[in-house]
Amino acid sequence: MKLYLALILLLPLLGGLFNALLGRMLPRRLGEAIACGVIWGAFVCAVLVLLQFTGPTKIEYGSWLAAFDLQAPIAIYLDQLSLGLTLMITFVCGLIHLYSVGYMREEPDFARYFALLNIFVFAMLVLVLAGNLPLLYLGWEGVGFCSYALIGFWYREEKNATAGRKAFIVTRVGDTAFGIAIVWMFQISGSVSITQLNAMGSLIPAGIVTALGILLLIGAAGKSAQLPLSVWLPDAMAGPTPVSAQIHAATMVTAGVYLLARMFPLIGGSEAVRAAIALTGGVTAFYAAASACRQRDLKRILAYSTISQIGYMVLGVGVGALTAATFHLLTHAFFKALLFLAAGCVITALHHQQDIFRMGGLKERLPAVYWPFLAGALCLAGFPLTGGFFSKDAILGAVFERGGPLYAGLFALGLLTALLTAFYTFRMLLVVFHGEENLPHPHPDPPREGEGIHSALPSVMTVTLWPLALLGLLGGILNLPSYLGVHGLLDGFLGDMPGLMRPEPLSHGTEMILQLVAATVSLAGLGLARSRYAGSRRAAVLAAEEAGSKLSDFLLNGWRLDDLYRLLFIRPFERIARLCWKGVDEAGIDGALDGLARLTARLGRLPAAWSSGRVATSLFGLAGGVCVLLAYVAWLITG
Amino acid sequence: MIVPLEHILILAGLLFFLGMGGLLAWRANLIMMLVCIEVMLNAVMLVFVGGSARWGNADGQLFAIFIMALTSSEVSLALAMVVYLHRRKRTVDTDVFSEMKG
Amino acid sequence: MLGNYPILTIMVFLPLAGCLLLLPAWRHPAAARPIALGVALLELALTGWLYSSWRGLAVAQTGLPGFFLLEDLPWIEAFGIRYTLGLDGISLLMVMLTAFSFCVALAVSWRAVGKRVGLFLALLLAMESGIMGVFLALDLALFYLFWEVMLIPMFFLIGVWGHGRRIYSTIKFFLFTMAGSLLMLLAIIALHLIYAQQTGIATFALHELLKTRLPAGTQLWLFAAFFLAFAIKFPLFPLHTWLPDAHTDAPTAGSVILAGLLLKTGSYGLIRFGYPLFPEAAQQLTPLFYTLALIGIGYASLVAFAQEDMKRLIAYSSIGHMGYVAIGIAAWQPVALTGSIIQMANHGVTTGALFAMVGMLDERAHTREIASFGGLWGKVPLWSFFFLFFSLASVGLPGLNNFVGEFLVLAGTMKKAPLVAGLAFLGIVLTLIYMVRLVQEVCFQEDRQPLSLVDLDLRELSLLAAVALLVVWMGVHPGPLLDLIHAPVQLLSGGVP
Repeated sequence: MKLYLALILLLPLLGGLFNALLGRMLPRRLGEAIACGVIWGAFVCAVLVLLQFTGPTKIEYGSWLAAFDLQAPIAIYLDQLSLGLTLMITFVCGLIHLYSVGYMREEPDFARYFALLNIFVFAMLVLVLAGNLPLLYLGWEGVGFCSYALIGFWYREEKNATAGRKAFIVTRVGDTAFGIAIVWMFQISGSVSITQLNAMGSLIPAGIVTALGILLLIGAAGKSAQLPLSVWLPDAMAGPTPVSAQIHAATMVTAGVYLLARMFPLIGGSEAVRAAIALTGGVTAFYAAASACRQRDLKRILAYSTISQIGYMVLGVGVGALTAATFHLLTHAFFKALLFLAAGCVITALHHQQDIFRMGGLKERLPAVYWPFLAGALCLAGFPLTGGFFSKDAILGAVFERGGPLYAGLFALGLLTALLTAFYTFRMLLVVFHGEENLPHPHPDPPREGEGIHSALPSVMTVTLWPLALLGLLGGILNLPSYLGVHGLLDGFLGDMPGLMRPEPLSHGTEMILQLVAATVSLAGLGLARSRYAGSRRAAVLAAEEAGSKLSDFLLNGWRLDDLYRLLFIRPFERIARLCWKGVDEAGIDGALDGLARLTARLGRLPAAWSSGRVATSLFGLAGGVCVLLAYVAWLITG
Repeated sequence: MIVPLEHILILAGLLFFLGMGGLLAWRANLIMMLVCIEVMLNAVMLVFVGGSARWGNADGQLFAIFIMALTSSEVSLALAMVVYLHRRKRTVDTDVFSEMKG
Repeated sequence: MLGNYPILTIMVFLPLAGCLLLLPAWRHPAAARPIALGVALLELALTGWLYSSWRGLAVAQTGLPGFFLLEDLPWIEAFGIRYTLGLDGISLLMVMLTAFSFCVALAVSWRAVGKRVGLFLALLLAMESGIMGVFLALDLALFYLFWEVMLIPMFFLIGVWGHGRRIYSTIKFFLFTMAGSLLMLLAIIALHLIYAQQTGIATFALHELLKTRLPAGTQLWLFAAFFLAFAIKFPLFPLHTWLPDAHTDAPTAGSVILAGLLLKTGSYGLIRFGYPLFPEAAQQLTPLFYTLALIGIGYASLVAFAQEDMKRLIAYSSIGHMGYVAIGIAAWQPVALTGSIIQMANHGVTTGALFAMVGMLDERAHTREIASFGGLWGKVPLWSFFFLFFSLASVGLPGLNNFVGEFLVLAGTMKKAPLVAGLAFLGIVLTLIYMVRLVQEVCFQEDRQPLSLVDLDLRELSLLAAVALLVVWMGVHPGPLLDLIHAPVQLLSGGVP
């Protein structure tokens, strides 16, 4: 087991290093094979670990940070949560690696791509498996860096590089809060081990627990693109599409949810923290779903939907439904990766066209993409009996069960979000795949050279969609509701985890009613989308949307958060930086010093006037000196 | 002694300050400055001689003779330098020679 | 076996002796460079050998707790000045850093320096002797001597081989450091006299002077003088303006030494002399120290963001990074102090490498202006890779070296001053902002000027790869270094709980 766990981490790392150092010199096939092989190798090891798994274990490999009472060894903590995520990560990333072989087949710089992708998997696994917080932070920052480098993978365009930079900086704002929480926990308890900290939850004063919880929430918000740090994720879509699927949908962005779930035994003790988490999640889910309704870039729709779905997970953690949150995390990873990969197929087929208003009628042209995409869309919209339906409903059920005005409100907001989700999902599906090709509305710019449909997608790209589609659709099996007479697999698996707070199970009747409501909402969204984007009204609606309006601009720009931040932070920052340099450093400090130097020089020049070099000056000096001497002598004699 | 020492000292003082005043005032002409220096030196010599006569000691006279020898050599050297300087700048105005400015 | 040879004396004077070796090759750069590098490598090997045997040495008693090696001889007996060199864990770490940095400095100036090569190399070696002495001296008079000795070669390095306003910069550098060190000299003499008055023994030895009983007022004044000298070297906020100028105008080797070592003499002095000699005064001034360090971090990061010259940007980043070292010292808490000392080494390695890389780019493009670059990843991929790597190390990516130091500093400081630690954490975001901006504008985007550049050659590649390995090693497995400084830190921080 120790060996397998080490291999899970080491294989991706070695693969990444191999591609980084030697990839440019070796044939392409070898680099690709190694990049994919190590991830699948890690998956096999994860399965082997699962077979041997008996209960939570801690394994220590060596020392890392060790100074006096601060001990952060290289240690793994394996429990149900981390094992489940490890399996999901290695599997989904393995598929995405395979897909990347097809997607990046024309990219000359494939070595850098696969190296970063592998190192990302390594960092993500460290994050999930870390036994102490500094090590978790290592993975946390590691995925942040890989995300930065991969978003800006096509670095020549300033937009891409800037998007990467934005992602790095915004998430680091959250990381800072997380970092402060780590050192604070160390200060209070003298330990950074996750299990020890969680065990101490009840000993720490409530006020501090609340503060720690809020700090961790900010950290999670940064990584998981929750309000108010959500702005980086839509821009992050500048990266290659498999990257969006792997990092910005399936794995990294759920790290925040993982962190909150991981530390829940510690921070869950505070009612205020739980409310804050739930509120953040609920509001973010609604905010992003509303924004997604008016996006016109295929990938940005998916990005906002990711923010929204993670909002659900955070909401789930906030109400203590860790199982439901994890359940949704897993199904979401499957269907969102699927949607992104399918979107990547569409984008490749259309020569990097991402504007949905310039697509349409692709159903006939790309059937191999359409059907998996439909499966993903059904899951995302929470269509009854898909995986997404069960997992989302589990969260909403838990929120409903909490009761009280706050949670009732959040439940209503969650339902409204579900409606919006179904609406924008089918809007996307209908506009892209249904209707006619070459829509009659005017293009803002003339069609580019070679525009049209390029249906010869590499088969590796379409084949990888199917396992994900199956997992997404059938994901519900992982954790079927108990009224069906079965005990949820995930409930049983995660249920043994120590320190887990289990909400009271809903009565079967309530649960069934809730699921009926959810199904109705989902179908209502579908109907709404269908009435607008299919059939006779389609052309008119599309033209109206293309023209835009105040509201739709507002939503298109993500509620203008970017502009707000530019006004509040970026501009003042730049100004202050300039002021500090030119005003304080050069004019202020250096100016004062130069002034002092000039003063000294001028003072020095005063006596220098006596050495004019003229004989007369010397003579006057001599005469003056003689006079003074004589006067002194005279004074001595007389006085 | 017929003349009291005080009178000699007053005369020497007058001579000295006369020379010094001339030295300071007549800067436009280096030769006249040398003449003024001579006057000052003469004043000093007068004091030496007067003192020698007052205390009956030959040392003062010795010094006077020594100064005479010194001034003659000094004047010869100085005049040579004046000629040299005149050749360089076509003037004997001391204010023009300020190469030693610090 | 070791006791028979004056190892420390050899370490201090070997580079100076290397200058003599340079004499026959004075006018032949091709011969002089290998000689100088050979001497520096020999020195590095010597420190490496000391490091490999420190555990064995630590067992032997030297008379001073914590010190592995001690060499003590009378020197100027009339004033009680002794020639005392001592090596403990902190010194050993700094000595290793010194030997390493000089190898880097010599290697980067291999081609960059063309005029008066003999003199250049001799000055570098002389400076190495001076800095070695600073890190090993345990007699305050001797310390002061080395402290001044190391400045003079730097004055000429910037003044003769510098760029831009080099005379202005070198005089500024000299005046700043002189002003501080003269006050320190006065404080040293005052301390000597007070001790002589109390005990009747004239001495400058650190371990004797530690026993001086100082009234609070006197202590504050003396500490202020020491503090000023060290704060200028650090540099702390209002005293920092010599650094950007000196860095920008210095030759690459000079920048490497400045960032890698001269700044560290300030923090080293504070740890070795300032705090232990005047513990109460140091405690009194701690709030001021915290404030200046915090302002320094935020302010330097802001100013760095606005810079247009790459070297200047990295120079300002040095001020920010040294702010963390300052915070760790101000906290004077075991974990934080460990972090500070490790961070001194880390910063020396990373920033030294960044300066060296900017120097390499400058050699090729003859400009350091950020706006003239862009898209270098496509043109010089190896250079860009290493530049990104060292930038990441500089912003404290975990797994690379700077994180270890910063994290320990902040974790330790949290125990003494939570607010300071929290604010300092925010500085990490600022660091990232300017560093990522630099990397993006230089390595990514479209190229803004048609420069034709050549990628790294084998000499540069092997140099940078060696430094990069060191960065990873210090980041992933800092254990041996942490062990090395454990005992001295425990002894030092025991005084002030």
